[in-house]
Amino acid sequence: MPAKRTTAATATPSITKSLSSGPKTLTANSSVSEIVHHVWQQYLTTTPERTMLLDAFMAFLVLIGGIQFVYCVLAGNYPFNAFLSGFSAAVGQFVLTASLRMQTSTDKAKGANGMGVGSDGVSHERAFADYIFGSLILHFFCINFIN
Amino acid sequence: MRWCLSLLLFCFLAVVNALSSSGNRLLVVLEDATEKESYSTFLGDLEARGYNPVVESPKSDKLSLFELGERAYDHVLLFPPRSKGFGPSLSPKNIIEFMNKDGNVLLALSGKSTTPSAISSLLLELDLHLSTDRSSMVVDHFNYDIHSAAETHDVLLLQRPGQLRPDTKSFFDGEGVLAFPSAAPHTLGDSNPLLAPILSAPVTAYSYNPKEDFGSVEDVVASGSQLALVSAMQARNSARFTLLGSVESLQDKWFSATVKAPGDGKESETANRDFAKQLTAWAFKETGVLKVGKIEHHLAQDSEAPSVELNPKIYRIKNETVFSIEVSEYKYDKYVPFEVPENDALQLEFTMLSPFHRLDLQPSGKTENSSIYSTKFTVPDQHGIFSFRVNYKRPFLTSIEEKHEVTVRHYAHDEYPRSWKISGGWVWIAGLWSVVAGFLAFVIMWLYSAPTSTASTTKKTQ
Repeated sequence: MPAKRTTAATATPSITKSLSSGPKTLTANSSVSEIVHHVWQQYLTTTPERTMLLDAFMAFLVLIGGIQFVYCVLAGNYPFNAFLSGFSAAVGQFVLTASLRMQTSTDKAKGANGMGVGSDGVSHERAFADYIFGSLILHFFCINFIN
Repeated sequence: MRWCLSLLLFCFLAVVNALSSSGNRLLVVLEDATEKESYSTFLGDLEARGYNPVVESPKSDKLSLFELGERAYDHVLLFPPRSKGFGPSLSPKNIIEFMNKDGNVLLALSGKSTTPSAISSLLLELDLHLSTDRSSMVVDHFNYDIHSAAETHDVLLLQRPGQLRPDTKSFFDGEGVLAFPSAAPHTLGDSNPLLAPILSAPVTAYSYNPKEDFGSVEDVVASGSQLALVSAMQARNSARFTLLGSVESLQDKWFSATVKAPGDGKESETANRDFAKQLTAWAFKETGVLKVGKIEHHLAQDSEAPSVELNPKIYRIKNETVFSIEVSEYKYDKYVPFEVPENDALQLEFTMLSPFHRLDLQPSGKTENSSIYSTKFTVPDQHGIFSFRVNYKRPFLTSIEEKHEVTVRHYAHDEYPRSWKISGGWVWIAGLWSVVAGFLAFVIMWLYSAPTSTASTTKKTQ
């Protein structure tokens, strides 16, 4: 609860700031493209750089996984272990990245002196180290499995 | 010492096997010793071929097929009995027991005397059926000898039998005419697949009981070529039982008779002597006996390298494998290379419960007294306990049943092709490595992007 309140509190100044330089506030009957544009602008201005980096990486993983899946559907799954390991590497990496995003982005403003600490008391550094550890295990398994 | 002994034993065996492939102790059961004279040529021929015929009367007390539980003779030749049967020592049970112990039996019947019921029940056990009155003989008004049977028409003139089927060997063919006086016919039941007819009556022949003097024949059970005159049964242990319908055809008189068929007036010598030789040779395992020599299987190799292991216990799936078997056939007094009949094939089965492969074995070599058949195949993509099986059971040939077990294992961990060898998986390999590369790039960017933004946000909140 307090976390929510703080985000709301932090959001207000940034919105007002963006409103001054960004697009106009939405009216009640604005079109779909306007809403999308507004949301996008809002995202670009309010999201911290690291979270955006995470999002970009996750989008990249979705693209890679999608390509692999489409290829499997079109060309057949002959070296099935290759498909499994390639696809599950993309999916697993996506899941790990999503959990890193959950641990680092929700409360970007809470920690003092640059020491970000998650709501469950895990510091950003610790979360990132866990993420690297998990990813290395995933890569090790996938490379082994693809032979 | 042991070496000397085995050599001695080997020589002894060689002497014993000099003639028939299964021994030369022959028991001739003849009730009337005076009849022996009329078969002197036949018995002399047998003796000349190396047998020791022991002529016994079925009434003799010391006659026994077994001695201390073992066979006392290798072969038995039974002439038709005068009385009600052969007596207790040659009961149907004893004769079957004799065959179960690999003894061979040649039973001759005659149409002149009534066949005893004991013999009829023995034949029924082998699914050979005599006519119900057991005293019929075969009569043919078109193929009879006009010299000796001008009135009764009961001396049949027959061509020598050829092949039973296109895919069998013929052991009884040849030139000449056979004379079969007063032959007792029998029919073959269809519940015994081990039976094979050797000689059948001509199509114009029929069965006739001279004691019941009817003008016409009523309720005919079988006629024409359904009536068999000579038949054979080879049991699963390759013991042979041969039934000859006309014992008179073995008499000296018919070995050298001149016969003449009605119609074309051409006189000819009978070929009975030659046929009797072929028949006894087959019945007492001088012909049609197969022996398996070396059996080899190994991995196929491009060059004949000595490194290849012979008869390994274990193969891997998809191995190229070569199997070869050496087969010889006994022919009168020696083993000769066995030739598979023209329309037949010796086959190899690679089985686990059911055959995964059934392949024709091709002749690939020949030694002095055996021929080698081999084939090459790929072990199926299935691991387990397999066996190489050669199961060759044909009429007139002793059966071959060979079974050699091997283990078929799957690929070892390092025997699979590496991932990049399979071009179909390149996309996924690229996907995996781009995930890894993306992860590395992300980590580097994350580490270089950190503190300023957090500092600024914390400032703002304050």
